[in-house]
Amino acid sequence: MKEDTVKLISAEGFEFVVDKKAAMVSQTIRNMLTSPGSFAETEHGEVTFPEISTPILEKICQYFYWSLQFSSGKETEFHIEPEITLELMMAANYLHT
Amino acid sequence: MSTQKKRNFKIEAFKHRVEVDPKYAEKTWKILEHAIHEIYNHNASGLSFEELYRNAYNMVLHKYGEKLYSGLVTTMTWHLKEMSKSIEAAQGGFFLEELNRKWGDHNKALQMIRDILMYMDRTFVPSSHKTPVHELGLNLWRDNIIHSSKIQTRLVSTLLDLIQKERTGEVINRGLMRNVTKMLMDLGSSVYENDFEKPFLEVSASFYSCESQQFIECCDCGEYLMKAERRLNEEMERVNQYLDAKTEPKITFVVEKEMIANHMQRLVHMENSGLVNMLVDDKYDDLSRMYNLFRRVPEGLSTIREVMTCHLRETGKQLVTDPDRLRDPVDFVQRLLNEKDKHDTIITTAFTNDKTFQNALNSSFEYFINLNNRSPEFISLYVDDKLRRGLKGVSEEDVENVLDKVMMLFRYLQEKDVFEKYYKQHLAKRLLSGKTISDDAERSLIVKLKTECGYQFTSKLEGMFTDMKTSQDTMQGFYASQSASDATDVPTLAVQILTTGSWPTQPIAPCNLPSEILGVCETFRAYYLGTHTGRRLTWQTNMGTADLKATFGKNQKHELNVSTYQMCILMLFNSSDRLTYKEIELATEIPAPDLKRCLQSLACVKGKNVLWKDPMSKDIAHDDAFSVNDNFSSKFFKVKIGTVVAQKETEPEKQETRQRVEEDRKPQIEAAIVRIMKSRRVLDHNNIVAEVTKQLQSRFLPNPVVIKKRIESLIEREFLERDKADRKLYRYLA
Repeated sequence: MKEDTVKLISAEGFEFVVDKKAAMVSQTIRNMLTSPGSFAETEHGEVTFPEISTPILEKICQYFYWSLQFSSGKETEFHIEPEITLELMMAANYLHT
Repeated sequence: MSTQKKRNFKIEAFKHRVEVDPKYAEKTWKILEHAIHEIYNHNASGLSFEELYRNAYNMVLHKYGEKLYSGLVTTMTWHLKEMSKSIEAAQGGFFLEELNRKWGDHNKALQMIRDILMYMDRTFVPSSHKTPVHELGLNLWRDNIIHSSKIQTRLVSTLLDLIQKERTGEVINRGLMRNVTKMLMDLGSSVYENDFEKPFLEVSASFYSCESQQFIECCDCGEYLMKAERRLNEEMERVNQYLDAKTEPKITFVVEKEMIANHMQRLVHMENSGLVNMLVDDKYDDLSRMYNLFRRVPEGLSTIREVMTCHLRETGKQLVTDPDRLRDPVDFVQRLLNEKDKHDTIITTAFTNDKTFQNALNSSFEYFINLNNRSPEFISLYVDDKLRRGLKGVSEEDVENVLDKVMMLFRYLQEKDVFEKYYKQHLAKRLLSGKTISDDAERSLIVKLKTECGYQFTSKLEGMFTDMKTSQDTMQGFYASQSASDATDVPTLAVQILTTGSWPTQPIAPCNLPSEILGVCETFRAYYLGTHTGRRLTWQTNMGTADLKATFGKNQKHELNVSTYQMCILMLFNSSDRLTYKEIELATEIPAPDLKRCLQSLACVKGKNVLWKDPMSKDIAHDDAFSVNDNFSSKFFKVKIGTVVAQKETEPEKQETRQRVEEDRKPQIEAAIVRIMKSRRVLDHNNIVAEVTKQLQSRFLPNPVVIKKRIESLIEREFLERDKADRKLYRYLA
């Protein structure tokens, strides 16, 4: 596992390896990785989300990268399928994104 | 998915957790409480952030925020109480270290707790108006540790003890001090101020009050200032190293007050080492230290300034009134200049060129220079000396330098018109005797005077230069016209035609010129009046010079450079061997005082005694007899016979000059009055006096009594009248 990436694991056990920079779009993940007294997540470089399903986590990862681009000036639409909206919203609240 | 969007939706509870276990809250809290304990015990690595965060998140989401918050307060308080016990137990020097270490632990734990409880901070805390977790942690620390009865006083006294140790030269752990004071600042500025800064300032004040008392008893002023400066720097360094920057003005104020302000007068007047001694001995370092320290306290600089002014006036007064000094005008002025230079250097090097000090210096000089009413004469004599001799072979730059300095003294003079009068006399002598060493220097000074006092002041001086130039042209014209009928035997004549009024000449009865000279003079008169009709020419025989070829006893030939009067006397000996004083007086008609001087310089100066006097004595008596000194010898071919001139004016001459100055002032005052009344029409007495003084102060300081007399004279001559109703008012009569 490289230094500047982090592994995000969904409820079903799917693993998403994303850049730390992208993952830190989520304030919650940022805190997990930067909190001073090394938590388990900081040591292993992986975070398990037992309450987030794979498609949602995938969408979230896509969002991380989109958000980075958006904030650097590339203004495109981020498409969200209506059927996952609610779940996605709740995950967003949880991740403070 | 942005924060904006989120607020528009009501978020339902997470669907996995819809079943509400009644023990759910209790169970979740236990997990979190355990985690907090682990964090405080440095055991966090086994904990999953995600899990803790999720639990806290769910508790808040399920409306157990209150339970979570109060649980946190209880747990944290418990840990702090434990810490407080261990800090209290620490002995002596370990107390601060323990405190600092625990503070570090708490801080780290607090940050971790805040991170896992972030969701609570985000939603529950603002909606229920609680204190956010981080601030809560600091407050709990403050209340349980810093303000615990066993720690509070011990902390302050430990800190102050350490500082006291450092002041007496011990080395202390500054890093630790910095951490502790930083902690106090983190707890809020009021904690820092009340629990540390206030007692710190009080202790410092008494420390410095005591120390300064000691120092002042046993140190001289310079040493004391050095110590005070060092203390001040130490305190600033201390603030820099381990106190809050806001403390700096407060602690420096304490040091300034205790060490400087309270002892200012005593320091300045300290015997043998105070300000006056520093000034006298040019102690630039001490002076600059004093300036920099005193500048920090109110009234500091004005104290220095007053003492300096006082000292300057006192020494200046002694200088200008010391009768010994008055004998040598050149030395007198040189001393003034040296004094000025000395203090200028002090002000530039030690007092950072402070304007107020320059002004004090200037006003002091103005004060004492004018105490002696011969200052204008002496300054002019100084210039005369410089332009005759002193500046020979000196570079142009240096000449300018000297002239600028003279101008500076000139500026201090109140009676500038008196200076002008003397300057005119001296300049005339220089020009007519051809003694001036540099025309450029002369002109440069006049330009300076002109910029200082205006065209009026120098117009006559400039006229003198013009006269010199025209005279040269005239003489060329004269000899050109004479060349046809030239006779080798005729003496060469050099005439300088002086415009009456421009030159300080007095109508004087011309002496009897020798016939040879008279002939040439008449030729010249004819030539001059021929080219310029309607002019009058009178001879100023008291001012010229002559070169004579003389042959002495053993066929020794010399060229004698003498004045016109002396020439007249010597020419008499062409026809007779021995003449008495009376005979000479009769033959030449030279005024008695001048004649005596001439004879003195011809007969009584060693090495230049071309005449033999009988009897041989210093003074000239009425029945003395003179003959040519055949034994005269000199190693030079050209012998310059000076006139015994009193360089400085004698008392009656002085009176006379003064009287003439007073006379000259009258029309100037009158002119000023008329100018003022012409524009104002009606004005009362006091205002006229004030205005006249203002108008004339660039030239002299008119005496109010004289102004009153001039007003009366103008009323008599019907330029003005008194107002009929109000006698104090004057009206201008057109």
